[in-house]
Amino acid sequence: MSVTAQNPAAAGAHAPSPVLPVEPEAGTRRLNTAKALQEAIGSQMEANPEVFVMGEDVGAYGGIFSSTTGLLDRFGPQRVIDTPISETAFIGLGIGAAVEGMRPIVELMFVDFFGVCMDQIYNHMAKIHYESGGNVRVPMVLMTATGGGYSDGAQHSQSLWGTFAHLPGMKVVVPSTPYDAKGLMTAAIQSDDPVVYMFHKGVMGLPWMAKNKRSIGAVPEQDYIVPIGKARVAREGTDVSIVTLSLSVHHSLDVAEKLEGEGISVEVLDLRSVVPLDREAIVATAAKTGRVIVVDEDYQSFGLSGEIAATLAENAASRGAAFSRVCVPDVPIPYARDLEYAVLPTPARIEAAVRAAVAG
Amino acid sequence: MSTEVRFPKMTDAGDSSGVLATWYVEDGEQVAAGQVLADVAVEKVDAEVTAPVAGTVTRSVAEEAEVAEGAVIATIA
Repeated sequence: MSVTAQNPAAAGAHAPSPVLPVEPEAGTRRLNTAKALQEAIGSQMEANPEVFVMGEDVGAYGGIFSSTTGLLDRFGPQRVIDTPISETAFIGLGIGAAVEGMRPIVELMFVDFFGVCMDQIYNHMAKIHYESGGNVRVPMVLMTATGGGYSDGAQHSQSLWGTFAHLPGMKVVVPSTPYDAKGLMTAAIQSDDPVVYMFHKGVMGLPWMAKNKRSIGAVPEQDYIVPIGKARVAREGTDVSIVTLSLSVHHSLDVAEKLEGEGISVEVLDLRSVVPLDREAIVATAAKTGRVIVVDEDYQSFGLSGEIAATLAENAASRGAAFSRVCVPDVPIPYARDLEYAVLPTPARIEAAVRAAVAG
Repeated sequence: MSTEVRFPKMTDAGDSSGVLATWYVEDGEQVAAGQVLADVAVEKVDAEVTAPVAGTVTRSVAEEAEVAEGAVIATIA
């Protein structure tokens, strides 16, 4: 392996895409999140022959949540590769390609399946850069579907971003909007580090799933990046801050709109990534409103919500802010719809938490 | 002169009805030929409807409306 092959950043002739203003201009074309994601991948494949896609049903089927629709027709089976059900093998294959200078996007069909292939992910993908003394980089995107809400049971409905974030060496990206989905995927592909890209099925805007209006939005046609590690104030407010991510951003904005009529002003912070975590933005919103509610579709204990509480306590500007959380209690996600919706961070639970926070 | 845009025939019989799942363009919006106008679905099969020509879109069915295969969903003038 040559030195240049070990260092794709030095070898790459591909200039990084620009950072655009977060709010697209009026009249900008609209897409759902799935199409925005497809566009980012397709555009980066056009720009860089080292980019390829691999995973279960990413080819003719187009990804079971439409992350790769149309790519096989455009790029052929050598660059859009359907794999057997053998996650350890094809994630390992992606890691090998990445250390040799390619830029694979490997789809783990459901994040819940990480159990059979975690050694490749956290002992190899995440650690090769460190263990090689910084000499070998792993510019790979591990793309995976997360979240529940459609009765798919305990092995197909988890969020688990806290699990990946807990293990050093991987960026963990969690988009909520079509705009961010494209810009964060472009950033992930261009990153020289391994990125776990976790899209919630409920933000994709798919015709066959219940969709929130926020899963369709303006997306510029040109390439751009959304910087990984920079949170977004999705809505300004003064009474209480909801710190959240992924589909829960949509629910939180719905609740904020509803409560505005009652004079309750809710700020919504969309984290956009868990690693790096934008602690400055968390502290800033807490200092502004004095009340923080974390809404997280991941399990409550030992995860993101606790990490945010620690961040608030460690910083003088946010210490003492009122804190509560709306998470999934520490149980497997139920299959039965009524039970599932009892544990998910639904708009009703978020609204109750906001009312309790401003009353307290 | 205006061009009709129809709900695609997605079943063998071609006489089923489906749903206009998502409009990606507003009424009166200018579109380019080939631009995605809408997602439609019959049962759990979905498809994109793209603009056959460039022009100004007039939508004739609402989002979430049930629509017969082959029915006009918009015109482009």
